[in-house]
Amino acid sequence: MKRDPVILIVVAMVVSIMLVFGIQKARHGSPNAGSAKLLNQPAPDFSLASLDGKTLKLSDYRGKAVLLNFWATWCEPCKVEMPWFVDLQKKYGPQGLQVLGVAMDDAPVKDIADFAQKMNVNYPIVIGKEEVGTQYGGVQYLPSTFYISRDGKIIDRVFGLVSRSEIEVNVQKALGTQVATK
Amino acid sequence: MKIGLLVAAVLGAALGVLAQESPGNQRPSVIMQPTEIIPISRGHSGTVELMFRVPSGFHINSNLPHQEYLKKTELKLDAPTDILVRKVRYPDGEDRSFPFAPDEKINVYSGDFTITVEVRPLKTVLPTKYAVHGYLNYQACDNAACYPPRKLPVTFEVRVTKSASENKHRNTPQSPHVHG
Repeated sequence: MKRDPVILIVVAMVVSIMLVFGIQKARHGSPNAGSAKLLNQPAPDFSLASLDGKTLKLSDYRGKAVLLNFWATWCEPCKVEMPWFVDLQKKYGPQGLQVLGVAMDDAPVKDIADFAQKMNVNYPIVIGKEEVGTQYGGVQYLPSTFYISRDGKIIDRVFGLVSRSEIEVNVQKALGTQVATK
Repeated sequence: MKIGLLVAAVLGAALGVLAQESPGNQRPSVIMQPTEIIPISRGHSGTVELMFRVPSGFHINSNLPHQEYLKKTELKLDAPTDILVRKVRYPDGEDRSFPFAPDEKINVYSGDFTITVEVRPLKTVLPTKYAVHGYLNYQACDNAACYPPRKLPVTFEVRVTKSASENKHRNTPQSPHVHG
């Protein structure tokens, strides 16, 4: 059987394009299928202690667009994002953005607070618990970021470090959503 | 033939990109290579080499990461009574930059690395086989994400033997003198 070389090349290119698109999907998808079913669903509420000992609830931010970032002090890529979040909080805070960091760390709270201070973090950080990670589909690697609309729904989630511009696009998307009217 | 090679190259390149860029598609589990039972004379020190492998595409922090907040790779051993773990020697890590922090050097292990353990059974220990158990604590990352710290169970065995001097002593011939 004689194979047409043009067909072979076309098939190879189609497969390659599918693989490359798969990469992008993997950034937004998850190895833990649990988080996939959270998309466009209400973000699971939680109540966690902040670095200054107060208790913060996610639902306290209803009406704001929330960038929920799971991170840890031992995570180098997370450190790269933090100054971007600081800038985005400054830039979009007045429009209703709230960045919220969840430290999935076993370090003492003081060490987390010192780290956050060193990074000039201007947004609240809460001390994460495994069950909260589980609520979010099992946060199996960091950074993991969820974008929550003003009406409390998860509109996107990104695993691993992505570019600042990609983060900003997601922030704008979260801000652009309107509060559901009853 | 040329067409086939071209097709393979295109597919290979795409798969290569996919393997490197897609975080979390694999679980970065460090594995320990099988270790032989090491014979050590009681009362003397012996060296055990523990060989580990970090899966391709991942790295773990070395035992001496430059950044204080990074989790270092550390071997924690719980040896039986009378078997002393005197020293654990870690290999030097490799200073590498990663796409997430191109201006920063991180001291890491990747691929294969060996940790050397110096073991010394006390003179009084019974000559037989002993198992030493423990954990390798490590924390892995790839080019875009980091994974929670993990503990790899580590086990190796040593066969404690009588020392050469003890054997020599035992084989010393009896005195030819006849006591009458």
